[in-house]
Amino acid sequence: MSLFLERFVNGLADGSIYALLALALVVVFRSTGQLNFAQGEIGTMGAFFVSTLTLSGLPVWLSIGCAMVLGFFVSAGVERIVVRPIEHRNPGAVIVALIGVFLAVNQIVAMIWGVDARSLPSVFPDDADDFVTIGGAPIRIARLGIIGVLIVVLFLLWLMFNKTKVGLAMRAVANNQESSNLVGIRVGSILVVGWGLAGAIGVLAAAMLAPSAGLTGTLMLGPFLLASVAAVLGGLDSPVGAVVGGLIIGLTEAFIVGYVDFLGADMLFPVMLVILLLVLLLRPAGLFGTERVERV
Amino acid sequence: MNLPLRVAKGSWQNWLGRAVLFGAVGLFMFRAVNEWSRSGLGLLADALIIAIAVTGLNLITGYTGQLSLGHAAFFAIGAFTSAMLVTGKVWTPFLTDNIWTPGWTMVAAAVVCFLIGMVVGIPALRLKGIYLALVTLVFTEAVRSVLKYEEFAGVTGGAPGIKGFNYLPPSWTGLDGRADLVTWFFWLSLAILVVVSVLSAGLLRSRIGRAMVAVRDNETAAAVMGVNLFSIKTIVFGLSGAIAGVAGSLYALKLSLVEADIPLFGLFGSVTLLVAMVVGGAAQNWGPFVGAMFYVFVNDFARSVGEDPSNSIFLGWVVDEGTKINGLGGVTFGVLLILFARFVPFGAVGTMRMWRSRVVAVVPQVSARAGGEPSAELLGEEGAMSAEQAATNIDPAEPPTSLTGDDPDPAS
Amino acid sequence: MSAEALLNVTGLTAGYGPVEVLHGLDFTVAEGEIVVILGANGAGKTTTMRSVSGMIPRHGTVDFAGTHISGSKPDAILRAGISQVPQGRGTFTDLSVEDNLMAGAYSVKSGVEEDLDRWYGVFPRLAERRDQKAGSLSGGEQQMLAVARAMMSRPKLLLCDEPSLGLAPLITKELFRVLGSLREEHGMSLLIVEQNAGMALALADRAYVLETGSIVATGTGDELLADDTIKEAYLGVVS
Repeated sequence: MSLFLERFVNGLADGSIYALLALALVVVFRSTGQLNFAQGEIGTMGAFFVSTLTLSGLPVWLSIGCAMVLGFFVSAGVERIVVRPIEHRNPGAVIVALIGVFLAVNQIVAMIWGVDARSLPSVFPDDADDFVTIGGAPIRIARLGIIGVLIVVLFLLWLMFNKTKVGLAMRAVANNQESSNLVGIRVGSILVVGWGLAGAIGVLAAAMLAPSAGLTGTLMLGPFLLASVAAVLGGLDSPVGAVVGGLIIGLTEAFIVGYVDFLGADMLFPVMLVILLLVLLLRPAGLFGTERVERV
Repeated sequence: MNLPLRVAKGSWQNWLGRAVLFGAVGLFMFRAVNEWSRSGLGLLADALIIAIAVTGLNLITGYTGQLSLGHAAFFAIGAFTSAMLVTGKVWTPFLTDNIWTPGWTMVAAAVVCFLIGMVVGIPALRLKGIYLALVTLVFTEAVRSVLKYEEFAGVTGGAPGIKGFNYLPPSWTGLDGRADLVTWFFWLSLAILVVVSVLSAGLLRSRIGRAMVAVRDNETAAAVMGVNLFSIKTIVFGLSGAIAGVAGSLYALKLSLVEADIPLFGLFGSVTLLVAMVVGGAAQNWGPFVGAMFYVFVNDFARSVGEDPSNSIFLGWVVDEGTKINGLGGVTFGVLLILFARFVPFGAVGTMRMWRSRVVAVVPQVSARAGGEPSAELLGEEGAMSAEQAATNIDPAEPPTSLTGDDPDPAS
Repeated sequence: MSAEALLNVTGLTAGYGPVEVLHGLDFTVAEGEIVVILGANGAGKTTTMRSVSGMIPRHGTVDFAGTHISGSKPDAILRAGISQVPQGRGTFTDLSVEDNLMAGAYSVKSGVEEDLDRWYGVFPRLAERRDQKAGSLSGGEQQMLAVARAMMSRPKLLLCDEPSLGLAPLITKELFRVLGSLREEHGMSLLIVEQNAGMALALADRAYVLETGSIVATGTGDELLADDTIKEAYLGVVS
């Protein structure tokens, strides 16, 4: 039982990171229909920035805050400078540009910070004896902290989307760009804010992951793929779906590795493929996604 | 002189133009074979192999509008099929030692990938756009996991893969064994690329080709007009997978080893193929070739900039001799991709064609046939016309406006 | 035409890409007037609306309340006092009724709560459904919502693009009554494009007839209602 609990919490913690990243992907997809391929790499860059800031003496939480601001602007910049002019001419070419951004950001990280691995301090107490015992299982405080971060972020996002003018504008733009224009919303600015927000969330996810996974240039490669799967599983235009999807993937990963002996960690992708197919064949737009009605 | 010059499709001027184009490319190939170094020729052979795979991808994604990020899986399956058969790891009762000749393994790879491709086509009936793309992406990594799986090591070689096989040039080519290995693969890849391209162009001119484009442009309308979506999606996925499988097979034989962790066999490979397709020009006959050449050679150029920046024209005057900047090659390539997407958004071939049609426009000949059935001449030289084009006779030289055919609906 | 017309359009030319849809239109709307532009499918009605509200590039002069808005962007035009009820309602289907109205008030700095109360009073059915998703409302209710949303931006001129489209006759009657009351009780000026000639002309002070991008007739609402060619072409009356 205690092992189950430990795995469960670990699964939720990893799932929270996937959920955060998936949320970032969904925020962007809802308003522009694009999948930001470079989301993970911007996160990695942010995590390295956190490292630099903490090494120069800034407290971890403040460093993360600053890095999130950096992530906001880099991501916003990508929308304004790269995506928008290309989307105007050929939406299909945006994917190529985003792949270019992915590559460029990934390599810029190598350029600035080198290729050696680093360690990133956790914002939560993370020494060997920082755990609580629940149901006989040692649950690390840092892991609970990550789940807590997800809850706080969800709450803040809910507040923003439902109680602020910007949030209303973002929901409007995601639903109907032309009508948004008609009521005086500057659609371009809103898109930029949406992308920026996604960038900040991505950096937060990376900063949560790096302390346990180690800070290297490949930090977010796997998580980005898993978060994309999570977003699709939950429905690409549903924030609720992103969170549910992320947690499902995290829990699957935890339990496959632990419990299913003959499969082991290497068979994660075949298992996910099966889950994906089962869910999508029943609900082609994801668990919570809205099905597109096509008019001929 | 009134621009654009109008040239009737199928006329002698049209054929002359095509002959010049093919002649130029052919000349380039002859020069390469005779004058380039081993490594340069090897790079060219790689580009040709990737072009074959991209031709396959173009059929299902460019022309039929089903976004696939799974073609690296077919590439890998083809590669492993060849490696497994050539080293006798698979039990085949009618052969001594179970060892196949390399040429036949390519055929086997095509068949295996065709069957698997057809199965992959089934989810495409329910899933659209990014949803399909992501499922195919997970499929790619799932295939890779299976190929790496230790329990299957007896057949697939597990994590270390399979090594120690060769495809030496047969004696009738006049090439000498190991020394001319690269030359042999160059010619082989070129030949297969030509064959695959011709077959693909033929497919696109047929009824199946028209159905493919109809599915891309408006699936519901296509179904209502009598296109069997199940057949089209499964068969075309199968064919496109088979072609990618043949490319993979070639790749394995050239490399003389296969290993699950080869970048081209996973996510990186699928992305590479897609980028090459879009950069060259989706739904264009010359697209895969141009895209693959661009990808391989610009990548190489970027890498050399990264390794020795002082020698490059851009940075030479800023960077000292001998300094190496980490990641510069990757940043260069990434930036080039962005610039390309920005300024050549319809791919090299699409954009070149737009320019060319301002000077020389190839116009369909409306045949004097009674009866109303659009004759073959009405189909653009570049392959199948979309339903709307056939109806309104718009110049088929205009590149398609989007990868997946979504209608942006400007007017209401 | 009055020299001080609220909206004064001359030589309006617009299109999509290489295709020109409007070939130099002239029309005006005076303050407190209800003007109808009548036209069949493809005549260019929606293009006209989009040109005035700044959604597509156009040539010609558009003057509103004395200011040149010919080259302005949609949000500037909105702030100048023109609000559009788009074709097909254009409601934010995923947002609640109240959120739709709040979105309509995006450009308003203060007093939004009072506006909300006022329009809930004019459209009590919307008040009943204030927390429902707009997409779940009936066609007629969505049309009312679209009108109310447009009014939330405190416009002087309301543009309505085919408001009767897809609505049953009884609902359309109610809708036009509401539009009329906007002028009577709230001092609005209206520019309505319509295919539904009967009800529109009955409401209109003046009207223009648009055919393939050009204005071919103009007169008061009653004049055009009595005109035989109009009756045949748009009202299906065989004389």
